[in-house]
Amino acid sequence: MTLTESPSLLVAGIGEMVLSSSSDAHLVAYGLGSCIALAAWDPRTRVGGLAHFMLPNGPANNASPVKFIDTGLDTFLKAMEAQGATLNRSVFKAAGAAAMLTVGGGLAIGKRNAEMMQAALAERGVSLAATALGGNAGRTVQLEVADGRFLIKSLSSVSEL
Amino acid sequence: MALTLSEAGQNVVAGTFGRAMKRAGEALGSMSGQVIEVQTPMLRRCTAADVLTMAGGPESVVLAVYVGIFGSLQGHALLLFSPTDAHRLAQILLAGLLGPGELPMEATSDVLAYDELELSALQEAGNVTISAFLNELGTHLNEPVMPTPPQVVIEMAGAVLDAVLLDLVSDADQVLAAKTTFSEGGRAIDGTLFVLPRADSLRVLLDALGAIGI
Repeated sequence: MTLTESPSLLVAGIGEMVLSSSSDAHLVAYGLGSCIALAAWDPRTRVGGLAHFMLPNGPANNASPVKFIDTGLDTFLKAMEAQGATLNRSVFKAAGAAAMLTVGGGLAIGKRNAEMMQAALAERGVSLAATALGGNAGRTVQLEVADGRFLIKSLSSVSEL
Repeated sequence: MALTLSEAGQNVVAGTFGRAMKRAGEALGSMSGQVIEVQTPMLRRCTAADVLTMAGGPESVVLAVYVGIFGSLQGHALLLFSPTDAHRLAQILLAGLLGPGELPMEATSDVLAYDELELSALQEAGNVTISAFLNELGTHLNEPVMPTPPQVVIEMAGAVLDAVLLDLVSDADQVLAAKTTFSEGGRAIDGTLFVLPRADSLRVLLDALGAIGI
């Protein structure tokens, strides 16, 4: 986890999360395939967070705090609160969970990630304001902490979610 | 359950994978009619993030040929090219197949656009290369190693690799990654072969090599 007040690009690597309340901060997760990124932004305190989850479930992991959705989601939500966000007015968006490789049939992790994310958020009373989940294209995502814009870039397009 | 390899065991795997990667380079050279230099293969125990770095970073765009590995040894293999190098290799492969002056495609300004013949040639190049790797490995094993059909993907490296990595790190924090680079000097084509075995399936290879327990 990285907390910073300085203007910067903060990268959530695979299994990592980044948070900031700096209006200059851009939170980025590069090259999502089956992984799933969860963005959270509190419009009042202007605190933003981006978590790059890898898998639906597994034990808590210190090296990669958001490796697993079931054990890492609360870690992310608590970090948002600690940074000054109030969860019930925060805006949550999710992207990723694509199916890149179709041969072999054993790599349908994206679909399971999307299902687990929606179920785990619902359990905590959190709903997703927008999603870009599934499909077979990779995505790079960026949360603008200044205004909460959530941008999605694929090889063929850039859009705002 | 991940197998904990001793340093000696890892050296045995590295030697065997290294020989198999050299065979893979020879197969690519034979198919393309070019002299392919094979960089000394390396085997690393590393994190998922490290593998993405080894592939040029998660956002670097690649043409990847993916082959899943099943049977007595399991895992994943990928042959990666930059989009430009993939076009160059496709030109060489198709020139060999069709003869000079018969190239069907015209140069395009979009480096990510490939026609069906190019994709088919590159897919076959990946298949031949990875199959040569598996055949060499298979000479050490009593039971067959089977490849899935190849799949070509043009994408950000992170997006191609993450499903493979997720399959390997669900019960471990690190993966074993074998990597080499193939270079064709004359036209400056570089390709990177990654082989990511399931660590628990390496037991069968160590056993067959008489190296279990070292």
